[in-house]
Amino acid sequence: METLALIETLDRDGQPRQILRVSQWPVRIGRAIACDLVLDDPHVAAHHATLELRDDGVHVVPAATLNGVRLGRAAIAPGSTPLLPAAALLTLGGTSLRVRLAGEVLAPEQRLLDLHQYERRHVTTLLLLIAFAALWKGFDLWLTAMPGQPGSVLAWSYLAAPAGLVVWCAAWAIGSMLFQRRFAFWAHLHVALRWLMAGVVAEAVTAQLAFAFSMPWLDKLGRIAFVVAIAQQQPLVGDLYLGTISLPAMRMARPVPVDAFVKSAAPLEKTLSHWTKAGDDGADADDSDDEDDGG
Amino acid sequence: MIKARNAGHGARGSSPRRFRSNNAHKAAGYDGSMPLNRLLRRPGRLLALLLAGSALAAWAGATAPGTPRTAAPASPLARPPAAASAAEPGDEHDDSANLSASARRIYDVGRPRLLQVRTLLRDQDSQASVGSGSLVGPDGLILTNYHVVSQMALEPQRYRLNFQTVDGVAGALQLIAFDVVHDLALVRMAQPPAAVASRGTFEFRPQATPLAQGERIFSLGNPLDIGFEVIEGTYNGLVERSFLPQILFSGALNPGMSGGPVLDDRGRIVGVNVATRRDGQNISFLVPAEFAQALIARSAHAKPITGPVEAEMARQLLVHQQQLTTRFIGLPWRETKHAHYSVPVPQEDFMRCWGSSNPSESKGLSFERSDCQMDTAIFINESLRTGDIAVRHEVYDGSRLGALRFAQEAGMSFRNERMGRRTHDLTAPKCQEDFVENAGLTMRSVMCLRAYRHLPGLYDVAVLSQSVDAKTEGVQGRFDARGVSFQNALLLASHYLQGFAWKRSP
Repeated sequence: METLALIETLDRDGQPRQILRVSQWPVRIGRAIACDLVLDDPHVAAHHATLELRDDGVHVVPAATLNGVRLGRAAIAPGSTPLLPAAALLTLGGTSLRVRLAGEVLAPEQRLLDLHQYERRHVTTLLLLIAFAALWKGFDLWLTAMPGQPGSVLAWSYLAAPAGLVVWCAAWAIGSMLFQRRFAFWAHLHVALRWLMAGVVAEAVTAQLAFAFSMPWLDKLGRIAFVVAIAQQQPLVGDLYLGTISLPAMRMARPVPVDAFVKSAAPLEKTLSHWTKAGDDGADADDSDDEDDGG
Repeated sequence: MIKARNAGHGARGSSPRRFRSNNAHKAAGYDGSMPLNRLLRRPGRLLALLLAGSALAAWAGATAPGTPRTAAPASPLARPPAAASAAEPGDEHDDSANLSASARRIYDVGRPRLLQVRTLLRDQDSQASVGSGSLVGPDGLILTNYHVVSQMALEPQRYRLNFQTVDGVAGALQLIAFDVVHDLALVRMAQPPAAVASRGTFEFRPQATPLAQGERIFSLGNPLDIGFEVIEGTYNGLVERSFLPQILFSGALNPGMSGGPVLDDRGRIVGVNVATRRDGQNISFLVPAEFAQALIARSAHAKPITGPVEAEMARQLLVHQQQLTTRFIGLPWRETKHAHYSVPVPQEDFMRCWGSSNPSESKGLSFERSDCQMDTAIFINESLRTGDIAVRHEVYDGSRLGALRFAQEAGMSFRNERMGRRTHDLTAPKCQEDFVENAGLTMRSVMCLRAYRHLPGLYDVAVLSQSVDAKTEGVQGRFDARGVSFQNALLLASHYLQGFAWKRSP
């Protein structure tokens, strides 16, 4: 017998729970066992709706019910019998039905991201990234720690960042578990580490270049890049001046004599006098140091 | 500035040294503008606090008749000022009965001319702050501190002034003139009561007969709004190394006495109560009478000020900053003993420098630090002091750290400097930065300026400079001047940066 249509009863995740192959029209839907499609839903009438073949195609004919029928999101007005579009979604009471008609044009096949293949292919880069991150963090720790600081303090500080990263990736993996039914932890770690390391390196390089060529704006740009590449630490705005001091050998820009430097500050007078009048300097507020001390 | 990272590694965490004057209280940072001197005006919030605790006692004291305070006028020891001249200081040394008597006599002399100056909210009778004052001229002319009347002067739409004499006569006051630099103001009774006209006025001790150190002087005022008092103390000359002359008075002044007169043993004004030291005891400051006399001579007949005071205030501050700048730039920098760096450290003519260093057992960056500040800052309002200079530097030795970690530490120390932010009185800072070379030393230098929003032509300038030409040693300096003209800000910055040099031969 030829299959004219497929009516799938969907569960709340959108997965088919019950599939009816339709070999003849009309199809009566309802709670009564006399129906072609029997729905076990207290919000559905004994006879809730009928699907009928007419000259121009299949129509929905709702019966007289309390809860009515929805086609897609819109409720079907009483007395109206709309034409079923392709891959239509019907809601009867609390039950969702998907109706597929024979001869519908199918969407092309989609490529599946094979998680195992992805993980195998990127295992080397992932290991390299982890090694690089560990080295970077270690270097950062060595740089900021003072000799003689207790090791336990350093160890905690060292472990805090990877722990945070693991929690971050696990959260993403749980998300993908929920929506894609697969636990893509390593893939997320790979993506996160790639961006994080790119950001860290970009920030460090721009800070050094900013120092070398005396270009404070470059440092700001690097910070923005870092924040865009996800995460943390220093605030984006509020830097009044370049805070990086690097090795003497890093300095490329030529120093200016005192007189020239002081002279270069002359235009500040105009800006500041404008600020006193307009009062539009609020965005530059950086730290809180107004200690009110009455007496 | 190096911040304390762990215990025993920084200037900020220094252990308390109670009875020694040190720079621990200054470590909060120059920008925080914690004043050394506490002004003797009583702020409203403190008042509320104290009244809550002592309301009953205050009430009982005020209503009980026959307390010594109210009994004073009936005392047979009351003598007119002319008679007081009979008792010269030399006549009554080592005689405690006489000492007490003379304080009593002074109080009796001063009592009719002594007042409390109260700042009230415009629309109700609650007092925002209280100070003291003295009758010094005809038609109810009263001398007090600028900071006692500053709220009314700056915000006449919110505050008004009132006076109250010892015997309870009260009325409204008008602002006549002020000298913001020396913290003095003249106010006048709006309608002088007839009872006040006959009281006469205080006289000033002639400048030709200066006080000698150790002479007894008497401060009058109404501390903490609990009642008028006379306080005996000692004249100890002018405060050393103070840019603005102030008398050092060894006596216990308290908030609320601001603006009250300080009298010699003949009841003549020698100074005006102004401030006390928080970290000392019985260390109080007076404005010398000569500035009050000058203000009276200049403005006794002026009309009441009704418009904004900011323009006149700015004019006075511009005169002050010009004197300060000229004098500061006129002084050469001091020699520093560092092997490689010459660092600008000011002479201590009108500044005081405190040094500190981190403990030698520290395994990280070791540094030495010097903080130089002026004692006097000019009061503008509760949150704004100005008209002073501060210079500080830190010398770093990072030989135990290596080049990379030294650069990191130096950067941290450079980065965490505060330049202030936008406030009611000042704009946000605007900075200029570059590599600067002077006398063989290359530095990363930042100059930040903030403009006064309401005082035209005045700026705060901060110069931060850090050497960048050695791998494991360096120096960081910071210069701050508050309330200077733009031209002088640049002049001072230039003067400061030229104080840095690299010493060729160690």
